Amino acid sequence: MQKRLAGWLIVAAGLAIIPSVVRPAVGQPPTGRASGVARMPDGKPNLNGVWQTLNTANWDLEPHAAAPSPVLALGAAGAIPPGLGVVQGGPIPYLPQALARKHENAKNWLTADPEVKCYLPGVPRATYMPHPFQIVQSRNVILIAYQYASASRTIPLKARTEEAAVDTWMGDSVGRWDGDTLVVDSESFNDSTWFDRAGNYHSGALRVVERYTPIDANIIQYEATIEDPKVFSRPWTIRMPIYRHVETNAQLIEFKCVEFVEELMYGHLRKK
Amino acid sequence: MSMRHLLHGAAVVVALWWLPAQPAGQGSAPPAAPVAAAWTAPRTPDGQPDIQGIWTNYDPTPFEVRLPTDPRGVNDGTGPSGDFDDTAPRRNQRRRSMVVDPPNGRVPVLPWAEAERDLNLTRIRDAWEYQTPWDRCITRGIPGGMFPSGYGNGYRFVQSPGVVAILYEMIHEPRIIPVDGSPHLPSNIRMWNGDSRGRWEGNTLVVDITNYNDKGDIATNAATGRIRGIAHSQELHVVERFTLANPDTLNYEVTITDPKVYSAPWKVVIPLTRDDDYQMFEYACHEGNHAMPNTLSAGRTIDKAGAAASKKQ
Repeated sequence: MQKRLAGWLIVAAGLAIIPSVVRPAVGQPPTGRASGVARMPDGKPNLNGVWQTLNTANWDLEPHAAAPSPVLALGAAGAIPPGLGVVQGGPIPYLPQALARKHENAKNWLTADPEVKCYLPGVPRATYMPHPFQIVQSRNVILIAYQYASASRTIPLKARTEEAAVDTWMGDSVGRWDGDTLVVDSESFNDSTWFDRAGNYHSGALRVVERYTPIDANIIQYEATIEDPKVFSRPWTIRMPIYRHVETNAQLIEFKCVEFVEELMYGHLRKK
Repeated sequence: MSMRHLLHGAAVVVALWWLPAQPAGQGSAPPAAPVAAAWTAPRTPDGQPDIQGIWTNYDPTPFEVRLPTDPRGVNDGTGPSGDFDDTAPRRNQRRRSMVVDPPNGRVPVLPWAEAERDLNLTRIRDAWEYQTPWDRCITRGIPGGMFPSGYGNGYRFVQSPGVVAILYEMIHEPRIIPVDGSPHLPSNIRMWNGDSRGRWEGNTLVVDITNYNDKGDIATNAATGRIRGIAHSQELHVVERFTLANPDTLNYEVTITDPKVYSAPWKVVIPLTRDDDYQMFEYACHEGNHAMPNTLSAGRTIDKAGAAASKKQ
């Protein structure tokens, strides 16, 4: 029954694309142990499965109206869908110079967004890319496999003992349980990823703390707090539900996009 | 005794050497040799044999048995194989080759496929399509991703109910293997790495892979020598067997069948060794692929120089 209900929610939201339809179901994360949450033998929430967000955060974390397709030939099929935004408590608190850089990024989106080149998405962007991801949860480690670009994160459930040896696209993550919430603390990022197609970005000083709170068998309330003193005046938080793919045959399907960008990136170097 | 007989004899030695590491009754090797005392692999909470952790397979064993004409001679285990220089611990130097079947240790590749690869190699400066999927940073393929290279040979196994996941360090591939009895995808979905479906047979994870596209290669790294860059067809069918032989050894045995490219199925055996202290790094391959534009622009520069030279004449 639970499964069917969530399935309906996804169908309804998919048809209507009205985020408010889903909103009442997500609410605030409950404080105690939520009923209906799947559990592991050790009592921890069982997050295993194929998941996906259902919003336009990858277009723009902030509220935005619909806009025409950036690629003329795609017409309505490529038009940018509107969204209420996922940032909590007002606009992203950019430092003045960083805001100018954000606007510059937005202007040059098609040539500058790492997603267009099939680069690794970074965190938290990987979560709300328009692709599913799969959580493989074991007792001491959680693997998140993202369909987009074969990206992944390994999250050991332990305290961080030392700083990562190198900065990376997907960062260095450690996790811990806070009640029913999986808290993932990530740092040691490079400065090459963006947060969305609107040019929201960060520096190598980025730290992201994510909170995955299952509120029933098929919905995870997701929060990510972003801290980067080189770019933002204070930490800020995005928030969105993540839905389970309840189809019985749900699975990731290979999306190796390198092949799709070779002509774009190297076409001018092809032998004529 | 002819060289052919010698090679054959050596292959039997290899097969026997492998036996103790395999549970009785599995594999095609003749039952002989002592089998290690019964050992039960630990289980995950949902009852799968637990093969979780980090495994590596740095291994300088030649991929194929060297031809008698090879100046390096057949690998006899007396010294470094010289196939690639690596500072990681070497192992398995008693083996002539990773290919264990056919018994001569040579991959039965059809001549046309070798010729096509050779032609591709002469054209790598023309366009990316002539390069291997690894050089393009797309994938090292399955099974190619499990064939040891000079570096980046780390694999992290994570299991959850109905799933065995393998994170390949090289080109950062998270591979999800369902072990829930689900069927293969419809045949119109074709992929570089195919569609993996697994099942447990005792301590052995058997994975059946179909639904390949016809753009990938069986092997992409230099250590596979003659087999590097040989393309496969959509008819490729791969069966992998991961056998937990003891707490620190996970044997990998793979059978490759592709009648368009090979005259017979062939088999490779490579052991993985547990190394939970090994640190896997993010291998952002495509993001740092300067070799691709450099190779192509070198080609265009050579073209220009050639055009200028012919103009002068």
